[in-house]
Amino acid sequence: MNDLASTFERNTLWLVGVALAFAVAMILAVVVERIAVAGHEARLRRMTAHYAPLVRLGLAGDAGARAALMRIRSWHRITIARLILLPLVTDRDPARIADARGLVTALSLVPFADRLLRSPWWWRRAMALRALGGMQAVDHTGAIVAALDDPNDDVRNTALDALADMQDPVSLPAIVVRLHDASLHRARRGAVLAAFGSQCESFLLDLAAVDTEHRLNYALALGICGTAAARPILCEWSGDARAPVRAAAMDALSRIGVDRASLPFVIAALEDGDAAVRAMAAAALHGHADRDTAATLARHLDDTWAVAVRAARSLQTMETAGRAELEARAAGAGLPALLARQMLWDGKASR
Amino acid sequence: MSVTTALAAFTVVVTAYFVAYNLSQFVMAGVAGRFLWRYQRRRNPRNLALVARLAAPPFVSIVAPAHNEALTIVDSVRALLALEYETREIVVVNDGSKDDTLAIMTREFALVEAPVAFEQPLKSAPLRGAYRSLVEPALIVIDKVNGGSKSDAVNAGINAASGRLVLVIDADTMLEPDALSRAAMPFLEHPDTVAVGGYVAIANGCRIEHNRVTAVAMPRSWFARFQIVEYMRSFLLFRLACASRNGVALISGAFGLFLRDALIDVGGYDGTAIGEDMDLTLRLQAYYRERNRPIRIAHVPLPVCWTQAPEDWQSMRSQRCRWRRGLLQVLWRQRRMIGNPRYGIIGMGVLPYIAIFEGLGPLIELLGYIVTTIAFFLGLLDWQHWRVMLAASILFGAATTLVSVFLSDLSTRKYLRPGDLALLVTSAILENAGYRQLNTWWGCVGTVQAMTGKGGWGTMKRKAF
Repeated sequence: MNDLASTFERNTLWLVGVALAFAVAMILAVVVERIAVAGHEARLRRMTAHYAPLVRLGLAGDAGARAALMRIRSWHRITIARLILLPLVTDRDPARIADARGLVTALSLVPFADRLLRSPWWWRRAMALRALGGMQAVDHTGAIVAALDDPNDDVRNTALDALADMQDPVSLPAIVVRLHDASLHRARRGAVLAAFGSQCESFLLDLAAVDTEHRLNYALALGICGTAAARPILCEWSGDARAPVRAAAMDALSRIGVDRASLPFVIAALEDGDAAVRAMAAAALHGHADRDTAATLARHLDDTWAVAVRAARSLQTMETAGRAELEARAAGAGLPALLARQMLWDGKASR
Repeated sequence: MSVTTALAAFTVVVTAYFVAYNLSQFVMAGVAGRFLWRYQRRRNPRNLALVARLAAPPFVSIVAPAHNEALTIVDSVRALLALEYETREIVVVNDGSKDDTLAIMTREFALVEAPVAFEQPLKSAPLRGAYRSLVEPALIVIDKVNGGSKSDAVNAGINAASGRLVLVIDADTMLEPDALSRAAMPFLEHPDTVAVGGYVAIANGCRIEHNRVTAVAMPRSWFARFQIVEYMRSFLLFRLACASRNGVALISGAFGLFLRDALIDVGGYDGTAIGEDMDLTLRLQAYYRERNRPIRIAHVPLPVCWTQAPEDWQSMRSQRCRWRRGLLQVLWRQRRMIGNPRYGIIGMGVLPYIAIFEGLGPLIELLGYIVTTIAFFLGLLDWQHWRVMLAASILFGAATTLVSVFLSDLSTRKYLRPGDLALLVTSAILENAGYRQLNTWWGCVGTVQAMTGKGGWGTMKRKAF
């Protein structure tokens, strides 16, 4: 035991050396990092101050500014590209995008992005994709679609963002077939469908007709970009054996809007055994001002809470018929009555 | 066994414990550094814009409990209303305040008593009324009888929340303007996400305007300075390392974004838990893992909010003793998870680590000091060994804290003045010579309190910003 203790003793001296070296190394790392980052930021500020006015003039079509920008050193290109492209994240004005694309092309930055696309480092590939998508470089749609199969999941998701920004209809089939790709973030899949809107619908309907396994995903997608053309198939899906599919179909109908032909399906879904389906059906009836629908819906104020809330919200939108049902309920006691009173109060407050 | 042999054996055990702890810290630093590096690479304006590009961003209910917050409530609510996230509502729970909290809110936000219907799946003290604002439609105020704990108030707020996601904060939490967008991202990216925590930074010394941190600076108090580096170490090493392996065991009570359904499933916050935030996080982990349901609890490694740290001795002592009691209570309650492969990384990695290094840590350290003192009086102490161990302990402690300072500076760049950075580095070194030992002592006091059932919640002296 004493031998072991003396071994430990010897090793603790070694430990002190390691600890001291590490502590000193970390202090140096903090100092060096701070100096390096401060230097980099100062350089960025200088470059931004120097180039921002030129970029503004260049985007406005000033030939002199463009000529000046074309003479810049190659290692300043990323800063210039950032100045041109970063505002496009929030400003999606087509004219602004076209100006940016024109300037980037004139400055020969596109071949630079091409090189980055082939980089072994994933973040560089992602940066190139964001740039190409942001400026809608439609001649690169193929390369961006190919990036959907990149080995890195961040690059694949960035490619999806880039296609959403690009809005090139050529990429739609590639996007729609990846609707079930779980390696792509669900929200990004939704965002790209939202970006294209109703342009996706026909592809979705064609695929849905032959692919019953993924019906849930198609129903969710139609909830984002569906139009009146999707109503018949959504009504058909309200009879699907899978409750999540029925609920998603009702949710999609709620977003698209219910017409006279689809109304009976929605009313029938109000009696579904699954609460989520009933809730979505109740939500789908918003704005239907006829007395019978309002009366049917009012019965669901006593349903499961999720259904009752949606029924109440729909009744609130049903003008006189809905208000009459809510007023009749509001006089009572309990949670449904309180819910009815809340809807009446909300209605008054919003007016 | 002679006393010398026993002492040698004890030395071996303590040294092995010390080496294992420091080794684990460096491994965590590596894992956390890699996680942070990847997070930083992914952090760009286009990613943050995703929420705005969605057809229907997730609706978030912000639950803010308020008990005697008359001085700060208006600024707090205004700051919440100004968050850069459109689809949200704010549920303020007036938890039986004895001051003018409700009256001030009524005056400032034109509150009127209004019907607000909601189910009450979570238990809480009786409600007295519900109020809506005529000028801020997103604001709901629930007035209730004081339930004796923050948990009770938060449960009432969760009941009233209509969002799919619920953000639970402390009354004094100051959120970063983009905190919600950042915290919502994991929910958008991974469908298995049930909760998201974030890096809670210390606001002492910072300039605060209307409940927003507008300029970051180091405080004058050394207590607060030590806590800043302590929080950096906690949030940027251990929690990031856990998050990178999907093993988050604690979402701070100051900032936690949850799936409302998940909160309802586990019965919300437990009013009897001293460490209610860790208790809830572990119950979420247990609930999902016991049912073989996928669960992901994410952690945002950048400051999402700011909070005030205690600066006086008494507040510090009561806070640390309470944290200690909370930790031991949670470990005892969730003891079935420790070393149980059914709970994955939580059962086999995170909880055993917490039990060994956080649960036993203060006791082993104190035992070390006691044994050293006894050995000194018995003339059995090898001073050379003792000095070397002490030096190694302080240097390793400083080195690991400096790693977190480095990671913090690299990723957040909050303390921009060179003087502040120098103070951070100095605090990281000095923290190990005195402050850490003080925490060890309070940890032991907290352990005794936990075993004897003594010790209350305590009060924290707040300073006006």
